[in-house]
Amino acid sequence: MLLDSLKSAFLLLVSLDPELFEIVGVSLNVSFFSTLAAAIIGLPLGFVVAFHSFAGKRFTLTCLNTLLALPTVVIGLVVYSLISRRGVLGPLELLYTQKAIIIGQVILIIPLITTLTIAAISKIDNRYRNTALTLGANQRQIAWVIFREARYGIVAAIIAAFGRVIAEVGISMMLGGNAKGFTRTMTTAMALEYDKGEFILAVALGMILMTCAFAINMVFHFFQGRIKTDAV
Amino acid sequence: MLYELSTLKKKFGDRVVLDISSLSLEARKVYALIGPNGAGKTTLLNHLAFLDQPTAGEIRFQNEAVAYDQRNLVQLRRQVVLVDQTPILFSGSVWKNVEFGLRVRGVPRKDRAIRISTALERVGMSGFAGADSHGLSGGEVKRVALARALVLEPEVLLCDEPTANVDQQNQEVILKILEHANSMQNTSVIFSTHYLSQSRRLAHQTVLLQNGALSFDSNENTFDVVITQERAGYKCLCLDNTENQRLGEVETSRLEKGSARIRLIPSRIILHVSEDSRPNNIPSHTGTVRKIAIENNAVRIIVDVGIELSVVMSIPRYREQPPLVGQQVGVEIPDKAVIVV
Repeated sequence: MLLDSLKSAFLLLVSLDPELFEIVGVSLNVSFFSTLAAAIIGLPLGFVVAFHSFAGKRFTLTCLNTLLALPTVVIGLVVYSLISRRGVLGPLELLYTQKAIIIGQVILIIPLITTLTIAAISKIDNRYRNTALTLGANQRQIAWVIFREARYGIVAAIIAAFGRVIAEVGISMMLGGNAKGFTRTMTTAMALEYDKGEFILAVALGMILMTCAFAINMVFHFFQGRIKTDAV
Repeated sequence: MLYELSTLKKKFGDRVVLDISSLSLEARKVYALIGPNGAGKTTLLNHLAFLDQPTAGEIRFQNEAVAYDQRNLVQLRRQVVLVDQTPILFSGSVWKNVEFGLRVRGVPRKDRAIRISTALERVGMSGFAGADSHGLSGGEVKRVALARALVLEPEVLLCDEPTANVDQQNQEVILKILEHANSMQNTSVIFSTHYLSQSRRLAHQTVLLQNGALSFDSNENTFDVVITQERAGYKCLCLDNTENQRLGEVETSRLEKGSARIRLIPSRIILHVSEDSRPNNIPSHTGTVRKIAIENNAVRIIVDVGIELSVVMSIPRYREQPPLVGQQVGVEIPDKAVIVV
């Protein structure tokens, strides 16, 4: 049965099935914008935490590390309570839209991007900062130097975050509603097809998802490798 | 005055790493900081570079007290550049590295190109302008770091052990770069080193540090002596209480009978090359010339009088009657050459 499903799924891919690619398109679109939004928030946050000493820094790091383990269904529930018709943000009518999924996914990956950014910046030799200082750089210019030297680690953080959101199902299902053509992502479509007992589309999507995951990991390891090379 | 440090103290926890009661450094001169590891050389350089704030005391730069607020510090740092003992280059090309300081100062692109080319040429790295900074050897990194500092034409160039961990050839190149910066660009140079020879060659003045404090004990011409005899104003000094190592008779009014630690100032010791020039009425020592070297418009001569004495004389005086290596000479130690330390 598995072989038959694989064969049919391969044919579906080769035939460039419009429904299949619509689902892939939604997935990529949602994942891209949620990663972008989380990076805009998470990178400066990580930079501030890593770069400055302040009271409660250790507590902040503990909180961020704890948030890494936040289950997607918990985020789904919290965001649902906010954007449902009776929620605080109900009038914005966000529920069961791609924006709702993006909001949930942003909450999911901000801690990931922030902690990985902190790790990347903390690894940067302090001499870079002192060199920039003695060469006359101001705080903004020093920040840019550090950011530049930590760029591979930061890109790796963003890639890891993208990999996390493209493969998650809880938030997409709870906040997106799995509406065909609008909020049906690869993972929610696979869950639906499984429920229906239709494995062909699920397997085809699984193949695409695995290909995406493989590509993401390839890029991630490329940047990780660059970090190690630079450290040497 | 370029720098004036008064009652400067730096503590890391309970440990005092720098404790300087008073130190003045003049502009356009070369200063060498000498001291053993942990003496406070790097900490002092960091303070002079305004990268570190003292725990107590005051630093005056160009006759103004240093205020440690961000805006003021950026302005001060733009006049002083520190080249680290193990400098780090930013990722990118050598050119981009040298360009960094000019870019942050907003120097126009056209001017930057000329200044970068000149700086790279000065350190002998013109051929490496497009090279990846992370592919350079230790000596090359130091030279690029120097170019990155010199391109800014700073008021003060601070170098933390500029010749550490580089081969002889690169050491010579680096020392010449520092010499050139001072003599041609009028840049004040302050560098730390473990080598007395480098300090003698480059520095107008040597600052000695020991346990974070200034020390006047350079170990050069410094001896623990005991006064064993006294005759008509002259005192016979023996080294380390050992009658075998007699320094001989020294005219000094500063010593009482007993033990003392003295330093004989090299520039005040008089050499008598020919027998005729030796005064008859003043006791002098006879020694063999071991080494002659030119440093800072003067000549340093190492004379073995049983122990090695360092003697400094001006070039004109040296030319009058130049001693030769291996030659027997008379050494006169006048009263003014002796300091009790």
